[in-house]
Amino acid sequence: MKKLSIAFVFAIGIVSASFTIMQQQAPKPWNVPDADAKKANPVKSSSESIASGKEVWSLHCMSCHGKTGLGDGKKAAQLKTQPSDFTKASFQSQSDGSLFYKVVAGRGDMPSFKKKIPEKEDIWNVVNYMRTLKK
Amino acid sequence: MRHIYKYTSPACNKMVLLVIATILAMGNTLIAQDTTATSATEDTSASTVVKKKYVKSTFEGNYLIDEQTVMVPIKGTLEFGIHHRFGPTNNGFTDLFGIFGGANMRLGFAYVPISNLQVGFGANNNNMVVDFNAKYALLKQTKDNRMPVSVTLYANAAMDTRKRTSSLPIVTFSDRLTFFNQLLIARKITNAFSVQAGINLTHFNNVEGYYDDNKNILPKLKNDHLSFCIGGRYKISEKTAIIVNYDQPLTQHPMNNPNPNLSIGLDMRTSGHDFQVFIGNYGYTLPQDNNLLNHNDFTKGQFVIGFNITRLYNF
Repeated sequence: MKKLSIAFVFAIGIVSASFTIMQQQAPKPWNVPDADAKKANPVKSSSESIASGKEVWSLHCMSCHGKTGLGDGKKAAQLKTQPSDFTKASFQSQSDGSLFYKVVAGRGDMPSFKKKIPEKEDIWNVVNYMRTLKK
Repeated sequence: MRHIYKYTSPACNKMVLLVIATILAMGNTLIAQDTTATSATEDTSASTVVKKKYVKSTFEGNYLIDEQTVMVPIKGTLEFGIHHRFGPTNNGFTDLFGIFGGANMRLGFAYVPISNLQVGFGANNNNMVVDFNAKYALLKQTKDNRMPVSVTLYANAAMDTRKRTSSLPIVTFSDRLTFFNQLLIARKITNAFSVQAGINLTHFNNVEGYYDDNKNILPKLKNDHLSFCIGGRYKISEKTAIIVNYDQPLTQHPMNNPNPNLSIGLDMRTSGHDFQVFIGNYGYTLPQDNNLLNHNDFTKGQFVIGFNITRLYNF
């Protein structure tokens, strides 16, 4: 009887967890204003820029987007929206300006980093780093 | 026969001068920085201006165990800090290495209203002391190495808020006050490794005294105490670092000389939190108490476990 109770509790736990996972939504299309999308990246990609971007990524982005941008960070499972896979062409085909806009503006689970990363150069460095995640 | 008696410095007004000097020094720096900024703007017409790029994240946050760091968070940052120093570890499992043996605690808030200046206040359970503090980044290390180090000034004033009773050595208001001033210099040597050193001046308006054999009241400690600190951080992963700090008293007192402090710990940083857990000799949550009153001796294995947790909000 005791074993049955334990199995029942486990089963409830697994079912609850699966519901939580099932409830996570796929990201909706995120339209970026044309002017922002066309904005050129003023920071040339270099080892220095990528290293700086990686540092910011590790501090602010990695917990949700994962170490390699797969969207598998430690906090990802708690989000309502599944973070995108940054290694895929669908993500990498976006312009630098679009990525910059999304980091600054934020939406839903994705917070705005306008105040947390006040220097634009730091955000462009993150954009340059995100380009290195492409597979 | 010797008796313990409170000793108030005849020169306790020195503390007022100390605070005024600190404020003036900070004011001068602010003006100096403004002047530099103007000069740079004027130069733009004559030649190309290269924007200064400052080295970032010399440390993970405001604290290096019991010391401040040279870091001042970005403008608009509000920090809420929780600091614990548990009891001595010597009792082993009896009180789980001091964790269940009582703790000194501090709850503090700090805000950065303008770039490079942080102001804050905190409440400490030890003697119900409240503290007010300010921290200003005088110089910041640049990526091109034209400025090879960061230099920061930190100052606080703390007040014992306990109700006055005959058993407490508090006669006048100024007896309640203590002060701490610190000049820190640091360099981020590599992305993983940073070092910091500092010179500290502690001032207690009121120190314990005693009667000598001729019934004269003499102080056990001097009112001013000078010390230095040296510490560092080494990142072992993107978010985790080993942190160490050492404090050496310099002033020699008539008796009860404080002991040096040796501490080591781990620092874990996320986007909004900084968590440090460590072991060291300092058992108080205020730097002036640690610098003047520490009697834990690392050569005798007298350590305490402690932690700092900070939560950052950006406005």
